[in-house]
Amino acid sequence: MSVWTRDRRRDVHSDHHDDRSSDQNRWSHRRKRGVDGSLRTNKEAEASDWEKGSYRHSDNRHASFTTPESAGPVSRCSHQADWGSQVEDDEMRRDMHIDIQRYRRRILGTDVTQRERKTSSGSSGSCDSREGDNMETDEAVLLRRQKQINYGKNTLAYDRYIKEVPKHMRQPGIHPKTPNKFRKYSRRSWDQQIKLWKVKLHAWDPPTEEDQDKVLDNIEVLDLDDVMDIELDFPTLSEFQNAPVSTGSLSREGEECLGTPVKIQKTEEPDTA
Amino acid sequence: MESSTEDYRIQSFDLDTQVLLKTALKDPGSVNLEKVSNVIVDQSLKDQVFSKEAGRICYTIVQAEAKQSNGNVFRRNLLNRLQQEFKGREETRGRSLQEWVCYVTFICNIFDYLKVNNMPMVALVHPVYDCLIRLAQADALMNEEEVDCLVLQLHRIGEQLEKVNSQRMDELFFLLRDSFLLQEGLSSMARLLLLEILEFRAGGWMLSSTAHKYYYSEIAD
Repeated sequence: MSVWTRDRRRDVHSDHHDDRSSDQNRWSHRRKRGVDGSLRTNKEAEASDWEKGSYRHSDNRHASFTTPESAGPVSRCSHQADWGSQVEDDEMRRDMHIDIQRYRRRILGTDVTQRERKTSSGSSGSCDSREGDNMETDEAVLLRRQKQINYGKNTLAYDRYIKEVPKHMRQPGIHPKTPNKFRKYSRRSWDQQIKLWKVKLHAWDPPTEEDQDKVLDNIEVLDLDDVMDIELDFPTLSEFQNAPVSTGSLSREGEECLGTPVKIQKTEEPDTA
Repeated sequence: MESSTEDYRIQSFDLDTQVLLKTALKDPGSVNLEKVSNVIVDQSLKDQVFSKEAGRICYTIVQAEAKQSNGNVFRRNLLNRLQQEFKGREETRGRSLQEWVCYVTFICNIFDYLKVNNMPMVALVHPVYDCLIRLAQADALMNEEEVDCLVLQLHRIGEQLEKVNSQRMDELFFLLRDSFLLQEGLSSMARLLLLEILEFRAGGWMLSSTAHKYYYSEIAD
């Protein structure tokens, strides 16, 4: 069974592709479920190969910039993947389609109440409404985003957060808010939102034995890292302004960055820890 | 619902393993699910009776794990182990016909029981066809064990398989018709089984009552 063990060890290391270098230890030792019990997080190795795969646009832009409604075939990039991963991808894809339909119903619903009812497109209309146009429908993009969200949710911090702060108590800008995967964002904007979301979630990390000793040290290190990351990523903000679709997200993006979640986190840490 | 472990035919395991399996059914998070999946596959490859029903216990463990932790460690390990065995299937067949037949029975049973959102697992469709088409080759049709296995699987999952990929079912049945008509040395029992499965599919995956009478009346005697 040595093959298996090796496989699993690789999983542990490759679990965190979107966290880049510095986050790795922090994330892995706070995982909600151990190597044995983790949900869907395992085959990150494939997933990242997958992202580098040829069906991504070569200029590194978001697929949705060029093809809003990708009619292409479902990505069959799982040729080299093992059966377990293939079935997981399959499952995720099907869940995603259910999710898409639910979201469409929801935005169409609010559309009717907020705006004047459109002439004839009664209830179960198509998604050609303006909101529908503004919706991310590229399956590959949605799956990638869902995976990133799953990693964030598969943490003890997330469990503690949703338990300690009931939904109606959550305040925008202060509390972490899961990014909306159905909105159109540039790849960078999205990744940044995910990063900020995870940074905020760290405030609810459970104290561990080592942490008890050096809580403060940890916070310092963590904050420094994150500030660095944010600053490194910042120059890209100017790109958003040129991007056709993401102007709406710009303000949000800016707010979140300028809102220095890091600071808030600092003040909250002693209370929650 | 069925906490009676009788249903899962696990009595043939040693006591420790029985305990392991019973725990896996109730509290999958507390056991090593990789080990559990290996135990089940190993037994399936040895025990023909178990291989026919092992899908049910697998289904229950998958459900239990998903419910408990939203996890799928068991399924992942089970499928990857199946894949590993699939790669070595020709050696297996050369080494032990019985193990090969058990393998096919087991993978078909898993295909039958484990679904993703109520749909067959796409990843298994081609492998299952590969196995069945292997059973339909001339050398395999000479062994009644393999013919038996082939028709049993087609009775159980033929219809589902055809729905997800009818082309390969056609391919398989071209082979079966040819063999029925042309292959020398086929036993009359093998021909009977082939004829029945040809009629079975032609009738929309069921036998007309007269056909049923023809094939099964002697047994009733």
